[in-house]
Amino acid sequence: MPPESVLPEPQWKDAELLDALLIPALQGNFPRDSAAFVRIDTSLRVYWHTLFDICPQLLELSGPDGLAIFRPFMAWAAQQQLSMNWAVYLWLCRWLQQSEFAARVDEELVFTLMAASVARWATGDRSADCGIVLSAAGHGDLLVGWKCHTPDGGRAIERVGLATPLPEPDEQFGYFTLPDFALDRFDGWQAVPR
Amino acid sequence: MRIGFNFTLGSTMGLVQRLIRERRIDYCELLIDNFLQVPPAQLAAAFDCPLGFHIMFSKFLESDVDYLEAMAERLHRHIEALQPLYVSDHIARFNHGGRQLYHLAEIDYDSEYRHVRDRVEYWQARLGQRLHLENYPSLLGGGRAAPEFFARLIRDTGAGLLFDVSNAICAQRNGVIAAEAWLPLIEAATHFHIAGYRESILAPKLTLDTHDAPLADDTLEFLARYRTHFDKPGATLTYERDDRFDEAEIDRDLAALRAIFPRLDDREHADAA
Ligand SMILES: [Fe+2]
Repeated sequence: MPPESVLPEPQWKDAELLDALLIPALQGNFPRDSAAFVRIDTSLRVYWHTLFDICPQLLELSGPDGLAIFRPFMAWAAQQQLSMNWAVYLWLCRWLQQSEFAARVDEELVFTLMAASVARWATGDRSADCGIVLSAAGHGDLLVGWKCHTPDGGRAIERVGLATPLPEPDEQFGYFTLPDFALDRFDGWQAVPR
Repeated sequence: MRIGFNFTLGSTMGLVQRLIRERRIDYCELLIDNFLQVPPAQLAAAFDCPLGFHIMFSKFLESDVDYLEAMAERLHRHIEALQPLYVSDHIARFNHGGRQLYHLAEIDYDSEYRHVRDRVEYWQARLGQRLHLENYPSLLGGGRAAPEFFARLIRDTGAGLLFDVSNAICAQRNGVIAAEAWLPLIEAATHFHIAGYRESILAPKLTLDTHDAPLADDTLEFLARYRTHFDKPGATLTYERDDRFDEAEIDRDLAALRAIFPRLDDREHADAA
């Protein structure tokens, strides 16, 4: 039996609901019982898991469904036109620090979010660079992420304290990339991308 | 039909090595852009079997040319050194308005043809290689236009279709288009994917291409019913698994695929017996 006869006729194209795929507030523009609504939900859930599976401590702030963080952060990210690249966790940190949760953003959470962002760089970046170094003003240690460089390896993340610390970045976070698998240079901090 | 398994990074190396050793697979498909920092000679030494290359994040329909030029150069080194069975990439949307879509979206087959054709021509030329392009697991009605779009694209660019059987079954289950609509394209294609799917959390249920579950009956039945459309010299079928690596389940699925496409030497043994 052709499935068309048993399933509701899909009326939408992905191309018509792209905005809603990453803005939770727009999901409500689609009927709750439509395939479009479920398709949007499927997309939004990937953002949710990318934040909360990687940093489950966030759920201690927001409550178990994460929505008290997820919905306002995603709305802010849309307003700020964040690209949602590897630095998304750093922007989340910044958002948290000016939110009702600000008092609960401790050093451990900052490092967790920094580690998540360098890990995402190390698996997602496609440039010829091999590593990334991330620093937070006022937080001493560096977070270093390395791409996979052996067949059976994976990305690697290190928290590094230098005997002679590097100068602090001008902004809250700064990063630089490494062209080889060696932490042997410092060319100054770059501002994290939007 | 050669049967393969995908290798994306790290933790499943032991599983993949066992599948190779036990001859449950004939080749391995690398998510190649995860390995561009690994010297090709090390990859060659690590896998005692042929390799296929699956490119995940070229985003070649959207990326700027500088990015693609640099990536092509690096991919090319690996292609030259490892001589993969095929090189494949995706027809899908990775960004919207400069923002990343974490769940890839389907392109608009009605309005994007010329751009896609031009980019496929460019990307093939830069890789110095015929590209095999994967069909999207359609969730919504726009996917109805996919087979016709791919037929035209393949005719105009000389690219191949990397036909993902379960993506087509997902689209069928989502009421978008019958998997049979792809039959002429399947007959012309050489490289295939297959994987398990899962239903969406919310209703009305959509079928999602999740790569984390055993092969479904409808997927295996489609493969068995049209096995002669699939089987041909040089054909490959990659079993994709990206989560929930239940080894007994994976062994069973690979055996089910092998039952549909017996090895030539196994068939001879059966005849002799
Ligand atoms: Fe696939």
